[in-house]
Amino acid sequence: MARNKFDIDESLESPFDIKHFKRAMVYVKKYKKSIITALLLSAISSAVALLGPLITKEAVDVAIPRGIETGDIWYTVLLSALFLLTIAVSVIFANIRQRIMTKAGQNIIYDIRKDLFAHLQRLPFSYYDDRPQGKILVRVVNYVNSVSDILTNGIINLVLEIFNIVFISIFMLFVDVRLALVVFAGLPVFIIIMAFLKSRQRKAWQALSNKSSNQTAYLAESINCIRVTQSFAREQENLGIFKRLSTAYRKAWMKAVTLNALVGFSVDNIRAIADSGLYFVGLMIIGYPAVSLGSILAMSSYSARFWQPIINIAQLYNQFINAVAYLERIFETMDEPVPVKNAENAYELPEMTGKVEYKNVTFAYEEGKNILENVSFTVNPGESVALVGPTGAGKTTIVNLISRFYNLTGGKILIDGHDISEVTLESLRKQMGIMLQDSFIFSGTIEDNIRYGKLDATEEEIRQAAKTVCADEFINTLENGYKTEMYEGGSQLSGGQRQLISFARTLISNPKILVLDEATSSIDAKTEKELQKGLQSLLKGRTSFIIAHRLSTIKNCDKIMFINNKGITEAGTHEELMAKKGDYYKLYTAQ
Amino acid sequence: MFQLKWLLSNLKGYRLVYAVALLLSIITQSFFLIGPIISQNIIDIFISSENAVENIQTKSDLLIWLCIAMVLFVLLRTGIQFLAKMLYEITSQGVLQKVRNELFRRIQNQDMHFFDTHTRGDLVTRLTGDLEMIRHSIAWIIMLVVESISLFLFTVIYFFTIDVALTLWVLSLTPVLFVITRIFSKKVRPRYITLREKLSRLNTKAQENIAANRVVKAFAREEYEKEDFDKYNKEYCEYSKKAAMTWLTFQPYIEILAQALWVVHMLAGGIFVINGQITIAEYSVFSALLWTISNAMRNLGMLINDLQRFFASISKIIDVYYARPGIVNNHEYTERNRIKGDIRFENVTMKFGDVTVLEDINLTVKNGETVVIMGATGSGKTTLMNLIARFYDPTSGAVYVGGKNVKEYEPDILRCNIGMTTQEVLLFSDTVDGNIAYGKSDLPFEDVTKFAHLACADFIEKMPEKYETIIGERGVGLSGGQKQRIALARAMAIRPPILILDDTTSAVDMETETQIQENLTKLDFECTKLIIAQRTSSARYADRIVILEDGKIRECGTHDELMASKGYYYEIYSLQNGTDKEAV
Repeated sequence: MARNKFDIDESLESPFDIKHFKRAMVYVKKYKKSIITALLLSAISSAVALLGPLITKEAVDVAIPRGIETGDIWYTVLLSALFLLTIAVSVIFANIRQRIMTKAGQNIIYDIRKDLFAHLQRLPFSYYDDRPQGKILVRVVNYVNSVSDILTNGIINLVLEIFNIVFISIFMLFVDVRLALVVFAGLPVFIIIMAFLKSRQRKAWQALSNKSSNQTAYLAESINCIRVTQSFAREQENLGIFKRLSTAYRKAWMKAVTLNALVGFSVDNIRAIADSGLYFVGLMIIGYPAVSLGSILAMSSYSARFWQPIINIAQLYNQFINAVAYLERIFETMDEPVPVKNAENAYELPEMTGKVEYKNVTFAYEEGKNILENVSFTVNPGESVALVGPTGAGKTTIVNLISRFYNLTGGKILIDGHDISEVTLESLRKQMGIMLQDSFIFSGTIEDNIRYGKLDATEEEIRQAAKTVCADEFINTLENGYKTEMYEGGSQLSGGQRQLISFARTLISNPKILVLDEATSSIDAKTEKELQKGLQSLLKGRTSFIIAHRLSTIKNCDKIMFINNKGITEAGTHEELMAKKGDYYKLYTAQ
Repeated sequence: MFQLKWLLSNLKGYRLVYAVALLLSIITQSFFLIGPIISQNIIDIFISSENAVENIQTKSDLLIWLCIAMVLFVLLRTGIQFLAKMLYEITSQGVLQKVRNELFRRIQNQDMHFFDTHTRGDLVTRLTGDLEMIRHSIAWIIMLVVESISLFLFTVIYFFTIDVALTLWVLSLTPVLFVITRIFSKKVRPRYITLREKLSRLNTKAQENIAANRVVKAFAREEYEKEDFDKYNKEYCEYSKKAAMTWLTFQPYIEILAQALWVVHMLAGGIFVINGQITIAEYSVFSALLWTISNAMRNLGMLINDLQRFFASISKIIDVYYARPGIVNNHEYTERNRIKGDIRFENVTMKFGDVTVLEDINLTVKNGETVVIMGATGSGKTTLMNLIARFYDPTSGAVYVGGKNVKEYEPDILRCNIGMTTQEVLLFSDTVDGNIAYGKSDLPFEDVTKFAHLACADFIEKMPEKYETIIGERGVGLSGGQKQRIALARAMAIRPPILILDDTTSAVDMETETQIQENLTKLDFECTKLIIAQRTSSARYADRIVILEDGKIRECGTHDELMASKGYYYEIYSLQNGTDKEAV
């Protein structure tokens, strides 16, 4: 799929499929017991509630007339007490059902969200790169929240209503087949209308979920990039874009609810036609005495009880169509393939010494467009390698492949002789320390941020790591030192300071292979120099890959590789490459 | 109640539509009372009547008309219902969109302090989940209140005309209900406020995880992230249950009270009938309409529950709605006139909390000058630049641009005269073209390519769809150097009188950097350039170099002057150019 942006709807490949609902049932099944209990409680509650009209009837027919005759009110009082009792029982049972279902419903969305999140953790960079973050976020939070009711109360009510319909239908057939058929005649019409609306409704709700996702994506991005917007004074124009998106959302909403409202509208009218048809056919066409007046009377009251559950089911159906639009999105994400995963017989990579071998590595992000072709090299344990070359030549790609962030198109990479595609990802990545171009700061304290590299690190270790990267000094000038709470994204720190923190985070993880990707680009020359000193001792015994543009950083490496034209064009020590007077020489003298 | 007032004020423009919708609702309610009369007539005349069989033959016309009337009546009722429903949707969506746009506008005008203290996840929650409550309140809560109250009043008035004593008996339970709902509303409110907080935290956690997906993978922290997320997920789940359980604790009392009406009616009404105070027919009228009161009582509990949720959310929205930025546009947009590019800092001191970032800065930059600013990490370089564009106001002292204090400009006028690149490159999930033309969306395509070329962003030509390639949010698909060059092209493309480059070439290779520096001297518009850099090579074309240290200007002068003074600049220059003995 091409990369998505905020105003592009995400098309959904799969057609409407009951399988989404079946799949949701997997989550529901876990709470089968709760649902069955709730179902029973509902049945009891409804049955007890049915006693109410009987009691009232008894009061009007027997108790009150008897009271008028004898002046004795005790039978009325007794009936009242009984009535109150049935109400209490019915309400309490219904209440317990609600409690059980609320718990189950919340647990179900907890489970779905948990699985969705877990799957997101396994998805490759490209999944995140290809769409605005807001579009992922709405799935995890908003969409999941929207499906709880239909998956719990929806199901129970559906079962109860179907039960009601069947029960009442049997009764009706029992009373008079011909009249029953008149009432049933409305049903096919209803089904035709629903079938007609169904695909439209589905499209409408899908469109709505798209528009809402677009709107949220733009919103999230606008908040993220507010600095840029303000510095280009583009607020007016962005507001225009947002208005366009919110208008699209409103229109989609109106369309979806119009269709929903039509469902209610048609079911009410069909019912009215069926009811009047009942009187007309019963009284005029079949006529007395072929049909008894009593059965027409009974049938007219049954008809109401037959149509009410159908109206309720129509409402449920509306909810269901709406929920499916969300479920589809949720499951689509859960079905997103995970290209990089543990091989079937993956084994733990033993503690590595840090020998790295590339053997004819070919790599392409998109098929047919190779970024690297037949790259081979060997790095011995403890060696430091600098990668230089023009931007976009593939330096970051080369180092990303070591951690197996992507699968190779061809060739293999060995660490200590182990093919990295055969070991578990966790055991591989845990022994690597990668410092990325973007230094991400989590919310939480500075200490927490460094500790991310080693979850059980002591305060002493954290301080030591910070000292090594020359961050201790500035941290101590902050209001609460290491306990200073970071704003989102660490916005109160300078770019260089953020890099130092993220550097400390990488170091504390005590990696065997260290990858520094532009790790020090925003750090001033003096700090960097101090940093280098601290690093020298640290780099000992670790294999390191360094991508940098400042030659002062590169010069001291054991080996320098010049990356260009899909591969390594020059390799050697600083002195060797200088003597060669090739690309590296040109680059060096340009500085 | 302030919240409701605020909501009402936002109904402006839709008040008439809304009033009509409410009126139609009330009419439909009365239809529910009148509707059964037709079928009752059929039953009375053609079924229950002693002359039923006769009537069928003699009054068959009437029967047909009644049947047709029944259908038409329902058609009318459902038609009105449909109309009312649409009017509610038009109103609620209209208001929702209006408030949403307005919030978006207001958030965009907030200053940096606001964004430091409000997380993105939280703001997104407010503009999605919380706003949904506005829709819900207009299309549902208020409608239900009006419907319930009107039906309740109709019935009660009607009941009073029949029998005052029995009516009072029937109403005897309502005070109890009020007491219960009052206790309930007090209990449930804090629950919803906490739940709302938990949702926001869940949102923030998920948002951060998505943003940090590369770091998570780099440290193989997927398991840790799952566990951490689980905490928030579980918390939200537990608090959702708690809030629902609070409602469910009170719900049976309310429900029993609502249904107990029938019992009261049966007992009191029965005794009244026995005592001859009312007739059995009057008793039946009461029982036929009792549901309206019972429904109103039942709805009251539900409404209180919804209302507390509504309050929890609306407060969050109002909070953002009325948050006043420290730095504001006083008027809407005027012509963007070009400011002259001279800049002057006068005794500028800047503190964030207790921390002094800049101290007593005095610096004048002439129109068209190129000044390179260097200094240690955290020495205040970026803050200095932020003051020019007035992202912050200095704690003391003043900044002048084009001879005028920056506070005298409208921020947007000032800012559209400044082309700025930030350290952390922020790009949009848009095409390359759209990103470069961000500051001037009507920029002709030739200019887009021209500035891309000036920024040495020739790699664009090699991308699959060239300038039409969509780059991911924050430019995630690009390398650091590529992102920086697009940001540079974007800043130049508005042809600003002042160009501020904050560490813009740090991830760009040497050769390209040299080329960019050269291009910067050949711009086709007059421009003051302020360049923050780490490499002394960046200072090649600078008229002057300023060295910041601990928020103070330590050195300032030309390359030769600073080399001669053998200070910080000299040291760095030697360090980076290999003449320093230690480094060799």
